[in-house]
Amino acid sequence: MRAAFRTGAVAAVAAAALIMTGCSADAGSGGSADDPVELTYWAWAPNLDKVVDLWNDENPDIQVTVNKQDGGDPAITKLLTAIKAGSGAPDLIQAEYQKIPTLVSSDALADLAGTSAADLSGEFPSGVWDSVTLGGDALYAIPQDTGPMMFYYRDDIFTQFGLTVPTTWEEYAETARALHAADPSKYLGTFSSNDAGWFAGLAQQAEAEWWSIDGDAWGVGIDEEPTQKVADYWGGLVEEGVIDNKPMYTPEWNAALNDGTQAGWLGAVWGPGVLSGNAADTAGMWKAATLPNWGSDASNGNWGGSSTAVTSQSKHVDAAVKFATWLNTDPDAVQALVTETGIYPASTDAAASTLSEAPEFFSNQPDFYDVAAEAAQSVAPFQYGPNVNVAFSAYNDEFAKAAESKTRQAFLDAVAAMQQITVDDLESSGFTVAD
Amino acid sequence: MTITNQTRAMVVPEFHEASDRRSRNGDQRMPLAIGSTAVLLLGALYCLLPVAWVVIASTKDASELFSTFTFAPSTHLWDNIVELTNYRDGLYWRWMANTALYAGFGAIVSTYVSALSGYALAKYVFPGKNVVFRVLLMGVLVPGVIVAIPQYLLLAQVGLTNTYWSVLLPQLISPYGIYLARIYAAAAVPTDIIESARTEGARELYIFHRIALPMMGPGLVTIFLFQFVAVWNNFMLPYIMLGNDELFPITVGLSGLLNQGASLPAMYTLVITGALLSIIPLIVLFLVLQRYWRVDLAAGAVKA
Amino acid sequence: MTATVEAPSGDTRPARRAPRHPVKRRTAARRHVTPWMMLAPGIVLFTLFMAAPILYTFVLSFQKELVSGLGLGSGSRTRTFAGLENYVATFTDPEFLASVGRVLVYGLILVPTMLGLALLFALLLDARRTGAKGFSRVSIFLPYAVPAVISSLLWGFLYLPAVSPFYWIFEQLGWDDVPSLLSPGLVVFAIANIGLWGGVGFNMIVMYTSLKAVPTEIYEAARIDGASERQIALRIKVPIIMPALIMTALFSMIATLQVFAEPTTLRPLTNSLSTTWSPLMYVYRDAFTRDDIYSAAATSVIIAVATFAISFLFLRVVQRRAFGQED
Repeated sequence: MRAAFRTGAVAAVAAAALIMTGCSADAGSGGSADDPVELTYWAWAPNLDKVVDLWNDENPDIQVTVNKQDGGDPAITKLLTAIKAGSGAPDLIQAEYQKIPTLVSSDALADLAGTSAADLSGEFPSGVWDSVTLGGDALYAIPQDTGPMMFYYRDDIFTQFGLTVPTTWEEYAETARALHAADPSKYLGTFSSNDAGWFAGLAQQAEAEWWSIDGDAWGVGIDEEPTQKVADYWGGLVEEGVIDNKPMYTPEWNAALNDGTQAGWLGAVWGPGVLSGNAADTAGMWKAATLPNWGSDASNGNWGGSSTAVTSQSKHVDAAVKFATWLNTDPDAVQALVTETGIYPASTDAAASTLSEAPEFFSNQPDFYDVAAEAAQSVAPFQYGPNVNVAFSAYNDEFAKAAESKTRQAFLDAVAAMQQITVDDLESSGFTVAD
Repeated sequence: MTITNQTRAMVVPEFHEASDRRSRNGDQRMPLAIGSTAVLLLGALYCLLPVAWVVIASTKDASELFSTFTFAPSTHLWDNIVELTNYRDGLYWRWMANTALYAGFGAIVSTYVSALSGYALAKYVFPGKNVVFRVLLMGVLVPGVIVAIPQYLLLAQVGLTNTYWSVLLPQLISPYGIYLARIYAAAAVPTDIIESARTEGARELYIFHRIALPMMGPGLVTIFLFQFVAVWNNFMLPYIMLGNDELFPITVGLSGLLNQGASLPAMYTLVITGALLSIIPLIVLFLVLQRYWRVDLAAGAVKA
Repeated sequence: MTATVEAPSGDTRPARRAPRHPVKRRTAARRHVTPWMMLAPGIVLFTLFMAAPILYTFVLSFQKELVSGLGLGSGSRTRTFAGLENYVATFTDPEFLASVGRVLVYGLILVPTMLGLALLFALLLDARRTGAKGFSRVSIFLPYAVPAVISSLLWGFLYLPAVSPFYWIFEQLGWDDVPSLLSPGLVVFAIANIGLWGGVGFNMIVMYTSLKAVPTEIYEAARIDGASERQIALRIKVPIIMPALIMTALFSMIATLQVFAEPTTLRPLTNSLSTTWSPLMYVYRDAFTRDDIYSAAATSVIIAVATFAISFLFLRVVQRRAFGQED
């Protein structure tokens, strides 16, 4: 696919209207300083516009405008609506990895395999690269950041009750019991029915394969041993009452982080931003560790992480690729991303060179990014499917019921229901589903 | 009961009420009914409680919001306002201005369109009138969430999504406003006045603008307020239409600060302070226009 | 529609420009064309922004998208005719039926409570001996100015035990096991309360201003006959403002069927609310979370038709007293 460049300054607001009327007339010429290519970029990372300003200052021929979005889900929802409408999509979008199959299946993303972006594979860990190629020959996005999961705990409370940092899930359960027994108001964590990405990360760590490609068919493996194991484990802890059952990211959870009711949190590498925003007064009391493991082998999952994709409605694919490559691999850009937006870069080299000093909230733990690097290394491969949105909303509904009923069996039933809903949806959309 | 009788009673309720209480209560030395006053105050308390919460919560910083007692005020109101103002170079105030534009301009045009339609439906006899009215009225029954997506798909065909127009245009039509305007026109504009203007040779639009519109005044203020509040509170339409947050109204902007996704904390203090500040202009508007607030006509004409 | 019968070819300009036309004919012509002219902006806007989207929704509801193969790459989705498939799917989905059931319960709680309280407050405001009227009227009306997204957030804070002042008080009183207002059995009341808070003032004002429109002489006669204030309120005032009560009831019922913002905002705070708690949430989930606007369109049509049917039946029951009369 060749990009048709078009001259003429186009106000972002009027872009869609002009595309309808005059795009074919002025194809062929590239942008110049007087006549720059104008790109719009939908993203939700905070302060991303400041990073983009660096680009705009140095590249008068390609000017990028960031439209800040509410978060991953609303941005994708709007993009899909614009794709259906045939106009109104931006040139670039910040897309979480789990959204990519959905976007590809709606024909929302441009295939970048024929562009210079194809040469970037060496910059990124192979697992991350797989999630932007979907394991095939196409290339749908350039990785930006990843979210290896980490275990955060209140060091002061651990010291107070003489607890040690769990390295296995068995130890985690023991620690949860010990803490709750010592102070019944306190929990080591909560099982959140509202955060499907969180549970997916835990399942990923257990080496679950929720989706797989089998020739021309999709396989769905949610209701299988690894995920059942994870659900059974958490169902057991919730049934026992040693782990809380309330959702995360509520005012109540914030209060619990502040007053120590929640003495631990299974978060991800971006956790410091969440903790400092929700419980600023607890700075210096937290420590980070790698996620507890199922056995002796270190393994991890991702929660979050996103990429920069070029949409199928963009008329400036080459310019967009040029920008996205700079944004995610140029050392200055990645450094700015780290300091301004607080992400953990996907680019291996860039991460090593830019992340040295611990985040301010973790100034008590100078080796924060060493722990993070360790967590990032052991992330297990994971394939997302074309209806992640359906599976995730099924997670919300089914695990909400399970968490409320507080029984181990309900957690297993929820996994089975997720599988059923996901398969039914694929089949009714016309996908072939492997048995 | 005649219409003029009602209208007169409705034009002066404030005065009516005040004189009512003073003279009768004074003359007959009626004691204040403690029971009913208490019930009313209880209702007021119930309605004010969450508002009081917003006022107090907006004085707290992010940690105090979750750690101190709910109704214990703090001293950070100004800090919060400054922080809100600094958020992305004053974006919040841009949202306020956008909202004022959407609600103000939208409500004025919508009121005029409603007045025209309502007057035509009330004061003319013509074939097809009832069909038009019923079809328009069915619009009241269709929820905004349902039409927002097709509205988007249709506006995208003409390239208007993600513009001010995409939020303004769909809200210029208000079936409820037309319904009310019809009732107001029927109740407030006597047919014989229209007839005598006609015999003097006045044009129909002249009659509408110079005679009917002023008579419908109080009712139109009501429609304006209804539509103003409806646009002010609307979430779904701008949420779907707009990708550029510089065009957002307050509701969509604040909701975005709350729903930042998992890797970012919700900005509760900014949202709460922003919510408080956004209620103030509406309160002022209500207090100013309260004396025109004549919802009663909606029900009044039915009695005729 | 035969408006053009007396104004041939729909063009009135000749008639206007020719003042020597017989007056009778001129008035007849313009009186048939003028209303259409006046209605034109309304009709055009209605057609573009309501009728067309509704029609489009209707068309979409009979379609679906089918995927071929893995569904990756361009052109793998094709839009096809689905017949009644989407409708059948909605009607046979227990989740949808459950959401309808929940909203009915919600409406049974909310509408009578809200209208009852609104009527009570309106009567008290209209009663002779009540005090603090101005303050109460403004206070009770105030919540109407708060967008539902914001009001749900406020009440969310007041509901969650860890940050709620109520639970702090309960704790001081030594009541440890007060269930959360967001627990499964109580959550419908929690949502109804938000609706009540936002709506009671508006309905109160509608009723109060209707009461104000009633000439006070009517009451004087009753007082002379020895009727108490309460009797006057119940036997005279309530029947007189019955049309206002009917209208507020109708609009409250429509609003009830369309409940969306409150449960959507509260949902992430609790395990008790599903993504399909109300019918409109069901539509939203299909359209946005599942990216299936075809099913969402079918469900939308069902909701709109049901709303229409309920409104129609309601008005039939109350003898069509509330719509569309004038001189």
